Amino acid sequence: MEVPGIVKLMYRNVMVNVDPGTLIILIGLPAMYLVFFGFGFGAMIPLPGGTAAYLTFLTPGIMSVQCLMAGTVGGSMLWADRRWGMLAQLLVGPFTRLQYLLGIMFTSLLFGLVGALVMLMGAFLIIGSLQITLWGALTAFAVIALGSIFFGSLMLLIAGLVKSNNAYNSIQILILFVVNFASTVFYSFSGGLPLPIQVLFQVNPLTYVANVARGGFEGVLPADVTWQLPLLVAETIVVLALATRVYVKSDITFV
Amino acid sequence: MERSIAGQVITVENLRHTYDGKHLALDGVTFGVSKGEVFGLLGKNGAGKTTLIKALTTLITPTSGTLRILGLDPLHHGQDIRRRIGVVQQGESFDFATVEGNFNIYGVLWGVPRKVRMQRREELIKAFGLQEVRRQRAFDLSGGQKRRVQVAREMMHDMDILFLDEPTTGLDVIMRRELLDSVKVQAHRGLTVVFTTHNLEEADYVCDRVAVIDEGKILAMDTVENLKRLYRGKKTVEVTLSGGDAAAFYDSLRAGLVGSDVKADGNSAVILTDDPKEVIQRIIELSQAKGVQMDWLNVRKNTLEDVFIGSVTKKEQG
Repeated sequence: MEVPGIVKLMYRNVMVNVDPGTLIILIGLPAMYLVFFGFGFGAMIPLPGGTAAYLTFLTPGIMSVQCLMAGTVGGSMLWADRRWGMLAQLLVGPFTRLQYLLGIMFTSLLFGLVGALVMLMGAFLIIGSLQITLWGALTAFAVIALGSIFFGSLMLLIAGLVKSNNAYNSIQILILFVVNFASTVFYSFSGGLPLPIQVLFQVNPLTYVANVARGGFEGVLPADVTWQLPLLVAETIVVLALATRVYVKSDITFV
Repeated sequence: MERSIAGQVITVENLRHTYDGKHLALDGVTFGVSKGEVFGLLGKNGAGKTTLIKALTTLITPTSGTLRILGLDPLHHGQDIRRRIGVVQQGESFDFATVEGNFNIYGVLWGVPRKVRMQRREELIKAFGLQEVRRQRAFDLSGGQKRRVQVAREMMHDMDILFLDEPTTGLDVIMRRELLDSVKVQAHRGLTVVFTTHNLEEADYVCDRVAVIDEGKILAMDTVENLKRLYRGKKTVEVTLSGGDAAAFYDSLRAGLVGSDVKADGNSAVILTDDPKEVIQRIIELSQAKGVQMDWLNVRKNTLEDVFIGSVTKKEQG
């Protein structure tokens, strides 16, 4: 029985992205967030239960960050394949354009879920104990999967539109910074924030992912989820459609 | 619907392609390639060779015309065609992996069974002299080594047609000859090869037929021998000038010579002629009249390069 083309492409994507640089982005950076922000903010924010309580709050947030990191790696895959000629090489091979795109999307999804699992295990080791129900874990991982597809599509869209390497890297860094820190990953939403930052929090899809994941950990989904989750689904569909359109229409050139 | 001329694995009829609806890259290209044939595409940069390869390998959909690869229409059977072809593109294309890793990944992508994959990898690494760099990252190799990896990697899978877009760029003389010989061997076994090159000696050595392409049109197409025969009896006069207005000199020379093709490039020119004595006489007269000095004058038999130059020159002169 022949292995499906998408699975072959996923194998290839994983094999060429397990280099130290990608692993640092995927695992190292969020792990450092967990350790440094966990202990740093944990010592500063007065929560009952101290640092351990903040680390428990932070864990679903850092797990959610994985969907952004995985999306970034997905966009970089398309960018690198365009830049280094492998996109054209693969598309004159036994694959369709759609298979190539889905190969990247599913690889992003895989990286997002595996990264979230690694963060969960890391948090367990640091805190010493974590309480989560099976339903809560499934909720958290499901929304991280959805977020991986959203951010994977967003980064693919950008990689499909941007022509310069410097521009792509700059946009990627900007998105990583703004999306991470203008979200509920590290702290709760507060009405005391300046209005522009409040708006950024409210429109940031990572906020929705982090809220649902945290709700899964706490066993109670917040009320905002009733509009945030459908909005995240709708945004994912729109961005995925846009990314697919830009990619299918783009001229694939031999370099 | 499958349709092709009997015995032909590639059938191209009146193929046209424009980029952005403006730039005409292919302008009514028609040709066919038979099974086991090594077919050469000769042309300068921007002539339309790579656009043609992109159309033949299903990477672009031509604006109009008919195209059949292995009897299949690329518009409806693109993936079926791609399963049966191999492509070595002109530029680099590597995965961020070692040489071995690139071979392994490529084998997996093409669904080559593990045992066959390992065996072929070892054979190709040996045949292409890559033993010493097999554990180095492909991107860290020299230009020639990268080219060898790229060509060898394509041989990991079975195919009916191999497209080689300037495959010998960066290879040393020995490796170049070995590659061309391996192409010949594969062709004898039934593999059809479409080969683009600037190097006319290579085309002469390896191709059964060649098409000279310029500005998206095929200017001449035949076996190498027949193309040369077109110019049989003709000689090639090469001249290089210094001082004076070379362009005006060659314009005057062209105007005064009937039945000769004058291809000027800066101070130098190549003239295909039936009567080299007349050409030399005219050059001497003109150089004295215009006060230019001859640095180099040579008469020799024509080569495939002269056929190429002759075809392009005829088109330019209308």
